[in-house]
Amino acid sequence: MNYPLDPYWMAALKALLVVVGLLTAFAFMTLIERRLLARFQIRMGPNRVGPLGLFQPIADAIKSIFKEDLVVERADKVIFVLAPLIGVVFALLAFGAIPFGPPGSFFGFQPWVLNLDLGLLYLFAVSEMAIYGIFLAGWASGSKYSLLGSLRSSASLISYELGLGIALLSPVLLVGSLNLNDIVNWQQEHGWLALYAFPAFLVYMIAALAEAARTPFDLPEAEQELVGGYHTEYSSIKWALFQMTEYIHFITASALIPTLFLGGWTMPFWNVPYLWMFLKIAFFLFFFIWIRATWFRLRYDQLLRFGWGFLFPVALVWFLVTALVVALDLPRSYLLYLSLATLLVLLGAVMYSPKPVRKGGGA
Amino acid sequence: MSPWEALALLLLLATGALVVTLRNAIHAALALILNFLVLAGVYVGLDARFLGFIQVIVYAGAIVVLFLFVIMLLFAAQGEVGFDPLVRSKPLAALLALGVALALFSGLWGLNLAFTKDLQGGLPQALGPLLYGDWLFVLLAVGFLLMAATVVAVALVQPTRPLDALRPEERKEEKEVVR
Repeated sequence: MNYPLDPYWMAALKALLVVVGLLTAFAFMTLIERRLLARFQIRMGPNRVGPLGLFQPIADAIKSIFKEDLVVERADKVIFVLAPLIGVVFALLAFGAIPFGPPGSFFGFQPWVLNLDLGLLYLFAVSEMAIYGIFLAGWASGSKYSLLGSLRSSASLISYELGLGIALLSPVLLVGSLNLNDIVNWQQEHGWLALYAFPAFLVYMIAALAEAARTPFDLPEAEQELVGGYHTEYSSIKWALFQMTEYIHFITASALIPTLFLGGWTMPFWNVPYLWMFLKIAFFLFFFIWIRATWFRLRYDQLLRFGWGFLFPVALVWFLVTALVVALDLPRSYLLYLSLATLLVLLGAVMYSPKPVRKGGGA
Repeated sequence: MSPWEALALLLLLATGALVVTLRNAIHAALALILNFLVLAGVYVGLDARFLGFIQVIVYAGAIVVLFLFVIMLLFAAQGEVGFDPLVRSKPLAALLALGVALALFSGLWGLNLAFTKDLQGGLPQALGPLLYGDWLFVLLAVGFLLMAATVVAVALVQPTRPLDALRPEERKEEKEVVR
C-alpha cells in the first residue's frame, strides 16, 4: 500500500513534537508512578510541591541538573559521558514509527514521523542499539557492581529479544507486511491480532516488560544486590538521562503493544484517531505500574530460564501453528479457536491450586 | 564518485583502521559498530533495505554485544597482553591484507552483474521467495554449517565433570556433616 508523504520540514517538526512530548511524558510519568505506587501501598506519595504534587517533576529536574556531576577516577572518561547519550538517543528514535491515526489526520499531514516498509525491523534495530547505552555505562564506570549490572542487563535483553522477535513473527505472517500502518489497517478489517495470536500477545507483553527492564525483570538495577546496577557511579544529569531512557522505553513499549496486537488507533465502534491510542497507552502504563506494585523481582537464573525455557518455545510453537495455517491456506478462524483454547488453558493453570504437599518427615 | 559515496568510503576505511589500531578492545569494538552502521547505510543506499536492517540487528546489535560481553567478562580490554607469541608479525600481516585486497579487486574487475529479478528495493516480500525458492539449498547449507560450528564449540568447552560436582575433599567433608 502507498501512503502519502510529508514535506521534510513537517517531518522534522513532528519529530521535535515527539521528542518534546516524550520528555514531558517522562517527567510526569515519574510523578504518576510514584503516586500510584504510594496508593497501592496505602501511603501518600509526593504531594508537597504544588497542588497534588504536580510540580514535583520540575523540582526533580532542577535538583538533578544542579547537583554535582561526578566522573569517577577509574572511569573511561569518553565512554562514561557517551553511554547515557547513546541510551537516550536510541530510545527516542523508536517512537516516531507508531501511527496515531489515518493518513491526513494531523492537520492535513500524516500522524506519524516515519512510515517505513520495514517498520518492525527498524524498531528492532533501534532497540538493539539502545542496549549499548546500559552496557557501556556499566563497563565505563570502572566498578564491579556497575559491570555486573550491565552484564546482567545485556544478557537478559539479548535473551528476551529472541522471544520478542519470534512472538512478532505470527502477526507478520498473518498480515504479510512489516509496515506498522499495514498491521493497524489489517486489524481494522479483520479484528485485533490479539484474538488471532493470543499466546504471541502474551509472550510479547512479557518480553516487552523485560526489554523495558520493569519490575519483575529489573535485575540490572537490583539495589539489594548491586547497589544501583549499571548507574551506580552516575550522578546528577547523567543519572537523570538513564531514568529518561528507562521511562521512554516504558512508554514506547506501552504504545507498541496496542499498535501491534490491539488495533492501534482503531476501535470497532466510535473510531476516533488519537483518542483510543492515548487511552490504550495509558491503560498499559497503568497496568505495568500495577504489576510493579504487585510482583517481586525474579532471581537471575529464574529470569534467564523463564526467557529461554518458556517464552521462547511458546513463541516458536505458536509461530509454527500460524505458519501451518497460512501455508495450508486454512480458514484464519482456526487461529481464533486455538487462541481461545490457550486462554482457557492459561486460566485453568492460574485457577488450579493443588493442596500443598508437606515435605520432609511425618507429623 | 558522488560525495556520499566518497564519505561512506572514507568512513568505512577510517573506522576499519580504528578497529585494528585502537589499543583498548572495547574502543575497537565500538569502532566496529560504527563500521557496521556505515555499511548498513551503504546497503540501504544500494536499495538492499532488508539487508541493511539485518546488518544492524544481527551484526551491530547481537554479534558485537557478544564480543563486548566476552571482553568485559574476561577483563580483556587492556592493550598490553604481555608475551607476544608472534614476534615482528606486522609486516607479514600487512602483506597478507594487501594480498587479500588485491584478490578481491581482481575478482571485481571482470565481474558483470546484471539484475534479472525485480527486488522492489530489497523488501522481504520479494526476497523471501528467492531465498526459499532458488537458493533454498544454499540457505540450508549455510544454516547447517553454523549449527555444526555451534555444536563443535559447545563440545570443545564441555568440562570433564559436571560443574556442580563436588571435589573429593568436599565429598569427604559432606559425609562427616551428614553422619
